[in-house]
Amino acid sequence: MTDRTNADRRLFRRTLARVLAMQVVALAVLWLLQTSFTP
Amino acid sequence: MHWLNWVIVVAYLGWVTWDGVRRSHGTKELEGYFLANRSLPWWAVGLSVMATQLSAITMIGTTGQGATDGMRFIQFYFGLPIAMVILGVTLVPFLHGARVYTAYEYLERRFDAKTRSLTAFLFLLSRGMSCGAIISAPAIVFSAVFGWSMPLSVAIIGIPTVIYTMIGGVQAVTWVDVKQMFIIVGAVLAIVVVLLVKIPVGPADALAIAGAAGRLRAFDFSFSLENTYTFWSGIIGGTFLMLSYFGTDQSQVQRYLTARSVDEARSSLLMSAYWKIPLQALILMVGILVFVFYLFQRPPLLWNPAHESRVRAEAPAEFASLESRFVNEYTARQMAANNLASASDSAAVAVFRAHERQIGDIRTEALALANRVTGEPSRDVNYVMPRFVLDYLPVGLVGLFIAAVLAAAMSSIAAELNSLATSSVIDFYRRWVRAEATDAHFLTVGKIATGLWGLFACGVALYAASLGSLIEVVNRFGSFFYGSILGVFLLAMIPGTRGWGAFIGLIAGMATVATVAFGAPSVSFLWHNVVGAVTVVIVGLLLGRSRTPTSARA
Repeated sequence: MTDRTNADRRLFRRTLARVLAMQVVALAVLWLLQTSFTP
Repeated sequence: MHWLNWVIVVAYLGWVTWDGVRRSHGTKELEGYFLANRSLPWWAVGLSVMATQLSAITMIGTTGQGATDGMRFIQFYFGLPIAMVILGVTLVPFLHGARVYTAYEYLERRFDAKTRSLTAFLFLLSRGMSCGAIISAPAIVFSAVFGWSMPLSVAIIGIPTVIYTMIGGVQAVTWVDVKQMFIIVGAVLAIVVVLLVKIPVGPADALAIAGAAGRLRAFDFSFSLENTYTFWSGIIGGTFLMLSYFGTDQSQVQRYLTARSVDEARSSLLMSAYWKIPLQALILMVGILVFVFYLFQRPPLLWNPAHESRVRAEAPAEFASLESRFVNEYTARQMAANNLASASDSAAVAVFRAHERQIGDIRTEALALANRVTGEPSRDVNYVMPRFVLDYLPVGLVGLFIAAVLAAAMSSIAAELNSLATSSVIDFYRRWVRAEATDAHFLTVGKIATGLWGLFACGVALYAASLGSLIEVVNRFGSFFYGSILGVFLLAMIPGTRGWGAFIGLIAGMATVATVAFGAPSVSFLWHNVVGAVTVVIVGLLLGRSRTPTSARA
């Protein structure tokens, strides 16, 4: 049970880190699209 | 339409209905029917959360918005990842840990029965009507594009969904949602590939042209309470809206209550946070590429085919004159686009933009004419994508797109019917009518409630055209209490706050939002959620906190 809880917690932390990284990448891509192609 | 496309649509409808119905095996208890015995993996719950939020309006309307308005709509979702992270560390552990069936059930444990019943009633009222609107939006488009009657369009979307939701319960809703998400994303990716092949200029030139037309402007840092699509509206107002939707709306709460543990429930929400902005950007990019495609392929003057044929028949001279001006302007704009692709200097950009403005003016005149002839608002933007799909997609992909629109509609409707039935049974029938009965009895009542809500939603959808203003009133009413309900849940997490304060706060929150909405109608609805939530928390705190924390007494 404890192993299961720890595994779930690790999954949550890992997912949280990925979410933050993905948002930074997504916003950076949108910013680059806007600044590179909008005269 | 080619027979192969119909085969794909019919096969899809048969498959999802069968797949949903077979999930009923083993569902003999109330917890199994409504919460899948809290046994679902986080990735399936996460996909279900995403599928529930993504409706047919996204597939048809958002792509059309991308074509006509560009990327700026993406700002609406900037608050979503923030809201998901906040919910993951605050409300989700509360609700999942409380072992409740509905979010409102938790409010009775924390506050009192009247707060629970009022919030549940507001949910049933708004979601019941919005479920009808979710069916009617694609049904109206199908009617106009294929010439189907409204009852047939509503039946094609509504009947299979009601059948599998009623028989299979939340297991059916979740596992069908998972498959529907794959169909939706697969169809969107296939359309992107077709567009890239069909557009006569390279991807970089296509982006340069879209950028020159202002379609790639994703960020607007101006601060305006009246504009929904700005960075600040999205980050602040959007966060409150998403907190309300994912944290207090039973149609979403029920998704993650089915997860195996609190951490899996959190992870399922984070999965949606991870994908939402990229997926929404992809859907808007489809619309932007459709815009670029129609720079090199003459588009219709009116996108709505039913309106186009009526205006052509009833005001032929006026329409012909507009169409002739439109063709001339289109030819000039096409040349300007070609020049822009070969040499993107500021002069070429200025010429292209001037022709783009002219085309916009002619379209505005055509829409006013259509409105005069038909007596209906045109909502032309919703027909951009269906017209492109039917006119230019290869055989097979048309069927896949229609299946994807049906999937998007059905996934939202199924989750809403399931949650409406859950709240009806748990918050009203079991609470006020019959507290003690066997699981089999409540299961039967749950299935009947799902069927009745399905009938109600289909009825609303059928009469949506004549009920148009009523639906608008209900939606507006909905925006009055969405943020206020969030405020009640925020109050519930503050130790020592009392039921009376929450109830009065809820009413004060709704009254304040109504005052803002009527007193300053130009303020965007995104800010109503902020006003409602903050008012409830302030009033709830001002009305005093009990000496002993309620959570300790519970």
